[in-house]
Amino acid sequence: MALNKSLLTAGALTLAVIGTGATLAYNEESLPTTMNPLFAASMVDYRSQELVFDRLWFHDAVTNELKSRVVAKHEIVDGGKGVKITLVPGIKWHNGKSLTSKDVCFTVDAMLDPKTASPVASAYREKLSGCETSGNNSAVIKFKKVFHNPREQLGFAILPQSAFSSTAITPELDFSARPTGTGPFKGSRGRRGVIFDAVANGHHAPKIAQLQLSEGGDPQIQVKTIVNNGVQGIIAVPPPYRPDLSASDDVALKSYDLRSWWFIAVNTSKGALADKRVRQALNVLIDRTELRQLSIGVKPGEQNSPCEFISGPFVQSSPYYNRAVDVTETADKAKAEALLKEAGLDNGAGTWAYEGQPINLKIGMLAPLNNEAPDLMSQVGNQLGAAGFQRQEFKISTDEWNRKAVTGQLEDYDLLIGKWSFGLDENVNDLFHSRKGITGRKNIFNYSDADVDKHLQAYDASRTDTAARDAYHALHETLAEELPYLFLWKLDTKSAWRTEVRGNIIAPYYYFTEIDAWKYAK
Amino acid sequence: MNPRLPFALIAISCLLIMLLAAGFAPEHLAEKVPELKWAGPAGLPPFGADDGGRALLDYAMQGARVVAVPSLIAGLVVAGFATLGGVLRAMGVGWLDRMLQAGGEVVGALPRMVVVLVVALVVPDEWRGLLPLAVTWALLSAPGAMDEAAAVAERLGGSRFVEALRAHGYSARRVYLYHIVALNLRPVVVRQAAEVMMQVVFLEIGLSYIAEEENQADFTHPANLKSWANLLKLGYASLVVDVPSGHALALGVALIGVVAVMSLALGRAVSAR
Amino acid sequence: MKQWWLRPAVRIGAALLLPVVVPAIITLLLWALPGDPVSIICPEELCTGGAALAEKWNLDRGPLHFYGSWLGGAIGGDFGATWRWQAGTPIAGLMAESTPTTLALLGFALVSVGLGTVVGASQRLPRRALAVAQVVGLVPGIVLALAGAAWIELTYGAASFVGPAAWARLLVGAGVIGLADGALSGAVSGTDGLFRAESRQRYVGIAILRGERVLSNTLPNVTPALAGQLRARTLHLLSGAVIVEAVVGIDGLGDLLLRGALHQDFGLVLASATAFAVFSSVLLLGQAAVEIATAVIVRRAPPGVLGGP
Repeated sequence: MALNKSLLTAGALTLAVIGTGATLAYNEESLPTTMNPLFAASMVDYRSQELVFDRLWFHDAVTNELKSRVVAKHEIVDGGKGVKITLVPGIKWHNGKSLTSKDVCFTVDAMLDPKTASPVASAYREKLSGCETSGNNSAVIKFKKVFHNPREQLGFAILPQSAFSSTAITPELDFSARPTGTGPFKGSRGRRGVIFDAVANGHHAPKIAQLQLSEGGDPQIQVKTIVNNGVQGIIAVPPPYRPDLSASDDVALKSYDLRSWWFIAVNTSKGALADKRVRQALNVLIDRTELRQLSIGVKPGEQNSPCEFISGPFVQSSPYYNRAVDVTETADKAKAEALLKEAGLDNGAGTWAYEGQPINLKIGMLAPLNNEAPDLMSQVGNQLGAAGFQRQEFKISTDEWNRKAVTGQLEDYDLLIGKWSFGLDENVNDLFHSRKGITGRKNIFNYSDADVDKHLQAYDASRTDTAARDAYHALHETLAEELPYLFLWKLDTKSAWRTEVRGNIIAPYYYFTEIDAWKYAK
Repeated sequence: MNPRLPFALIAISCLLIMLLAAGFAPEHLAEKVPELKWAGPAGLPPFGADDGGRALLDYAMQGARVVAVPSLIAGLVVAGFATLGGVLRAMGVGWLDRMLQAGGEVVGALPRMVVVLVVALVVPDEWRGLLPLAVTWALLSAPGAMDEAAAVAERLGGSRFVEALRAHGYSARRVYLYHIVALNLRPVVVRQAAEVMMQVVFLEIGLSYIAEEENQADFTHPANLKSWANLLKLGYASLVVDVPSGHALALGVALIGVVAVMSLALGRAVSAR
Repeated sequence: MKQWWLRPAVRIGAALLLPVVVPAIITLLLWALPGDPVSIICPEELCTGGAALAEKWNLDRGPLHFYGSWLGGAIGGDFGATWRWQAGTPIAGLMAESTPTTLALLGFALVSVGLGTVVGASQRLPRRALAVAQVVGLVPGIVLALAGAAWIELTYGAASFVGPAAWARLLVGAGVIGLADGALSGAVSGTDGLFRAESRQRYVGIAILRGERVLSNTLPNVTPALAGQLRARTLHLLSGAVIVEAVVGIDGLGDLLLRGALHQDFGLVLASATAFAVFSSVLLLGQAAVEIATAVIVRRAPPGVLGGP
C-alpha cells in the first residue's frame, strides 16, 4: 500500500516535471541480458544501466572532470585509505524511498560478499575493504591500499538495500529484469525490448518521457527504418552503412568514444610463434592498409577515416600512447622473409615449415566483430596464405570468448582476432601481466615477459599521472618489439540519431550519462 | 522406356552436380575486388559477384561442399533405420517391435532443433561441421521412417507374408532382401531418405543463418567456407531494400531447387510399379 | 495385429511418460555442453562466488540432482526465473505468453496442411496442380521469413512487435511454415500417395463393382496411417517453428527454446522443451484415439470386409 502511494506520488511528480516529452525509439546492438549493474557483461548492459542507476562518481562527457550527482561533498580519510562521502539530500529511489548511506554501504557489502558471483564485484574486491555509515547521509568507503586517484576507483552504481534480502546477490533475481535505481529512467525489460520511463528526481530532470530500446537486426533494414523515422536512433552503425546515413538530411552521425582497439593476439608459447622474429615477421606481413580497405571500406589516403592504425595497446588520442613507436601500415614481404629465415623456418615448397612440418595457423575471431569489419578474418587469412602459411579459420561466440579466450584457455589457437574497449581508465595490466592468481586475468595466451611485468608494476605503483604515463610509454615500446599482440587499429564507433533529437551529448563508454540534456520533439 | 528412368536420370544428375561442385570447391574465398561489387552474371560469369566483388560461383561450390556428403549420409542412416523397422515388423517379433515403437515415440517427441543445437554447441572445433548434426537429425527422424516402413510391412501381412513366401520355397534371405525390402519397402525407404536429405539442406541453411545472426560460431562449417544461407541472406535484401543482389537470391533458390528436384525425382524413380 | 489395442496402448503410455522423460534427456544433453551457465557468468579466473551460485542453482551435484529439483519445482508450477537470456524474468510468465502464440502459429499453419490433406485425399488433384504445390514448396522458408520480417520492420518501425505488426508476424510465420520447405506439397503428395496405394487394393475394386464409393471404403483403413502422417507433419511444423519464430520475430515457445539453448539458460530450455513434449503427448493421444476408434469401427464391419474379424 505504502509502495503504491509512493509510486503514485512519483508518477504525479514525473508528469508534472516532464510534461511534454515523447517516446524516443532506438536500436541497440542486442538486448541487455541484465539490468543489474553487478552482472553487466556487454556494452549494451552498461549503456542500459546508465539510464537507470547513478554511479557514485562519473566523468563529465565534455570536460572529463570527475563528478557526482549523489555525493554533495567528500574528503580523503585514514591516510588515503578511505573516502568519506556525504550524500545529496532528497534523492529518491524509483520506489519512492530515500537514498541513504545505508544503500551505499549495502552496495559495497554486496560487492565484498564472496557469494556474489560477479566479475564486476570481484574487481572491486581487489580494491575495497569495507564501508561504514555514520548517520543517514554519510559513509566512509575504505580501500585495501592507498590510491593516487581514489575517487576514480568509486565508479560503481548504487543499489537499493530495500530491494534485496541479503548481500549475496545473484543474477536471476527479479531485480535484474525490473530494477530500482535513482537514475533518470525506470527500466522494465520486455521480450523484445526495454521501456525506460522518465522519473523526475532532485538530481535528474529528463526531458524525454520514454525511451524504447529494441534490438537492431540487419543493418540495411535499420538504416532504412531510421530514414523513414521508424526509429529515431541507432547506437552503432557499421562503417559500410555510414555513407547512406551521411547523405540523409534527417539523420546525423555522432561519434561515440569507446576507446576500443583491435588486435591479433599471438600464441607466444606455440611452435614457431614462440620465436619473437616469427611474430615480427607476421607483423610486417599483415598489410593493414589493404585489410582496412577490404573489410571496413577505407580507401588508401582517405581523409577523416574512421579507422586509425595503432602500434601499441592504446588509442592514439590516449596520453599513454607512445608516438615514438611507428605503426606498420603496409606489408614488407622481404623483411618478413628475412626474419622467418633467420628464425630457422624453411620455405622450400612454397609453404613455411618449422622443424620440418608445414605451419598451419589456427585463426579465431570474436564473432560479433564481423559486423563492424566484415570478412576481416578471411582477409587476414588470405594475406597469411599468400605469404606461405596454411591456415584454418573459426569464429568464436561471445560466451566462448569470455569463458575461454579471456581466461587463457584457447591455447590450441595460434592467432585470435579481438577488440578491447575502455572507458577513461585505460588500464591494460590484466591483459599483459603474467598470470599469477588474479593478476593478468585477461591475458589471452598466458603471455609472460619479465620486462613487461616490470612496466606494469611501475604503472601500478605510480602516484602521479606523469609516472603512470612513463610506465605505459615504456610498456608500449616493449610490446611493439615483443609482439604478443599484432596491434591493428582503433575503429570509431558512430551512432545515428534523427535531427529531431537535440542536445544529445554522447558520453564516452557509458553513452547516456548526460541523458537529462537530451530533447526530442516530433 | 521405363517411365521411372527419366526420374532416375534427373536424380543422378542432380546428385552428380552437387558432388562435383563439392569436390571442386575452393578452400578459401578469393580476395575481394571492390570494382566488381554486385557484378551481375554478365560482369562476372557465370553467376555474378557479392558485395565484395567475389564470385558467387565460389559460394555455390562451397555451399555444396558443406551439405553434399552429410546430407547423403543422413539419408543413408534414415534408409537403414526404415528398412530395419519394416523388416522387424515382417519378422513379427512383437516385444521388440513394441519396444522400438515406445522408444521411437520418445525420440520422435524430442524437440529436434534443441537437440541439434546442443550437439552443435558440444562438437569441438576440429569436428565442427554439418555431419554430426545431419546424423543427429537423421536419428531423430528415424522413428517416423521406421513407423511408416513398418506400416507397409504390416499391410503386406507381416509375418504371415513371410510364412507364405517361405511356404513357396523362397529362402529367408531372398524373402527379406528381395520381396520385402527391394520390392515393397523400397519406395517408402528411399522417399524417406530423400526427404531427410532435403531437410538436412534446409537445416543447414537455418542453422547457418542463426549462427550468423546470433553471433555464434558457425555450427555447420569452418569460417573459411560459405553456406548457401549466405547467398540467400545476400539476396533477400533485394526484395526489401535497394540492393542489387537479386542474382544472389536467384542462385540460392536455384541451388535449393536442385536439391528439392533431386529429392522428388529420387522418390519417383523408386516408386512402386 | 491380433491385439489391436497394443499399439494405441503403447502410444498412450509414451504420451504419459513424455513430459517427464523429455526434460530428463534434455538435462543430460545440456550437461554435455562445454562450460555451464555459472562458468560463463563467473569464470573462476575472473570471479569468485561461482560455487555459491552453482549451489543455489542446483548445478553442483550432477544432472540427476538438478533434474530432480527442477521437476519438483515444475510440478508445483514454479519454473524459476531465467538466468542469462533475460535474467530475472519469471519463466512461467514467458511460457504463459508464448504458448498461445505458438498454438496460434501452428493453427494457422495447419490450415494449409489440412487443406493439402483434404485435397490429397480427394484424389481429384490434377498432376499439374501437384507439381505447382511442389514448386511452391521449393521456395526456401528462410527467404520468405527474412523478407517478411524485413517488410514488417520497415512498415511498422519501432512498433513492429506489438498490435497489428505482431499479427502480421504471426501470419507471415504461419505462411512460411505452412507453405515453404515442402510442408504443403508434402501434405498433398503424402495423402495422395496413401489413398492411391489403398485404392489399388482388391477390396476397393470389388466395392466399386458393388456400386460403393472409393473413399468410404479406403478411409477406415488409411485413417490410422493418415493420423500418423498428420502427427509427423505437425511435429515437423513445430520443429520449423523454432527457426521461423526466431527469424520472423514471433514471441513463441520455439523462440524461447532457441534463446535458452544459445544462452545455456537451462531452466528456460527445460520448461519450453517440456511444453513441446506436452504438445507431442497430445498428438500421440489423438493418434491413439483415432486408432481405437478405427479399430472399433472395423471390428463392427462384416467379416472379410474392411479387415473385420
